[in-house]
Amino acid sequence: MVNVSKHFDLNGNARSVLDDISFSAASGEMICIIGRSGCGKTTLLNILAGFLMPSSGVVKVNGRPIRKPGPDRCVIFQEDTLFPWLTVRENIAFGLRSGTIGDKHSIESEVDRFLTLVRLHEFQHYLPQEISGGMKQRVAIARVLILQPQVLLMDEPFASLDYHTRREMQNLLLAIWMELNQTIIFVTHDVDEAITLADRIALIDKNSGHIREVLAVPLPRPRKTEIPEYIFFRKNLYESL
Amino acid sequence: MKKPESAKGYYSLLPWIIPGAFVSAWVIFSYAGLIPDYLLPHPLTIIKTGYGYIFSYNTSSIYSGRFLSDAEASLTRVCFGFICATLCGLPLGVLSGRLATVNRLLNTFVNGLRAVPGITWLPLAMVWFGIGIKTTVFLVALAAFFPIYLNTAAGAQQVNIRLLQAGAMMGVGRFAGTFRILLPGSMPHIMTGLRLGLGISWAYLVLGELTGVPNGLGAVIMDARMLGRVDMIVVGMLIIATVGRASDGLLVTFLKTCFKSARRMS
Repeated sequence: MVNVSKHFDLNGNARSVLDDISFSAASGEMICIIGRSGCGKTTLLNILAGFLMPSSGVVKVNGRPIRKPGPDRCVIFQEDTLFPWLTVRENIAFGLRSGTIGDKHSIESEVDRFLTLVRLHEFQHYLPQEISGGMKQRVAIARVLILQPQVLLMDEPFASLDYHTRREMQNLLLAIWMELNQTIIFVTHDVDEAITLADRIALIDKNSGHIREVLAVPLPRPRKTEIPEYIFFRKNLYESL
Repeated sequence: MKKPESAKGYYSLLPWIIPGAFVSAWVIFSYAGLIPDYLLPHPLTIIKTGYGYIFSYNTSSIYSGRFLSDAEASLTRVCFGFICATLCGLPLGVLSGRLATVNRLLNTFVNGLRAVPGITWLPLAMVWFGIGIKTTVFLVALAAFFPIYLNTAAGAQQVNIRLLQAGAMMGVGRFAGTFRILLPGSMPHIMTGLRLGLGISWAYLVLGELTGVPNGLGAVIMDARMLGRVDMIVVGMLIIATVGRASDGLLVTFLKTCFKSARRMS
């Protein structure tokens, strides 16, 4: 059972970026955090990941407060953060090698499983510089999912991809989410992305740094962009942004 | 860089064009008598002297057959000096590249020290260590330290913080992260630093052997200067060029064999 609740305000140089934000996510839920550029979405995610400490308030996973980064909360960054000296396969195995999880044989079979999951088996011996941006993000997803994090934090992971690749990645993410049932907190500025993915959408106000509102997405999955309910919901969301 | 099959022959010749042109010009000038022998000896004289020096073929020469013992002495000095420099330069470079406090602590001192030309250390080193291997090793280590330290620091500094964060979230702590992320991530810079350091080691070897040690490739050159044996000077220089180039190649091969990051990122 995952329960992320947080409550803090952050004063970087006496400037409040995020002010008094609280929310919680249920286990297996997909929450999108949406807001205009510069509203503090990435700051929020950095705090959740443990890279930054909140100036006040606490973040809890499973009732335990967060003090530092750890494999229970894994981040998929917007930019490419694969290790350029490791192949796709070695990148995915990186986290497993660092822990005490399993023997060599079971590591290899786990890696195979996740390579298949993100459909990169035939590229396993390529280096990051030799594959496309979409593939890199798939490797990034696989290398953290293999650690079975309780929460997956995604910081505009598909923002630098082209439209078609982005759609593909969203579908892949949904498929993986259905299979593994991860809790996912997904930061984005893209309204359509948020509606396609999320169970609930949290809007952050740029000026105040508050969460303006949290909307449950009432649409059935798989979500079709052309149905009137979608268009209506999208219009509302767009206006309140 | 892949070249079509037909161009491969020419391509492998490419590094030899400039040395070849130099030697040709030299041969032409010597045969035409444009340069007197006491300034630049005839290539054949060089070959004879070099052959005798390496294979002890002309036993009447005082340099005959000394090559192995000289090379051994010099290699030992270069190796020791270079290893000392690496052992100090690498860890300090990593620390100073990553930690602002260490950087602030070391930078003024190191850069001040770096401004002092290596040759001015010679008298002091002789007072401290006397004549012999210790002086040379000291000078070589001192000179090689700076490029290794500076390049490692630059390399460690440019490693994206996101890579370390990614490691941290995958359960790799600071200590393990240094070896699994920071060092591989800085590898291209570290390699440059080590290669520059090794190159400068050979330069300071000759300086260190100025001091009247009986053997060594630098000592032979200085000895030949006093006896006016220009041919032997040139032989010594050519041998240092060859051994230096070979040691650089060995270093690169060694790094590429041992480290994925050296193999894949340069």
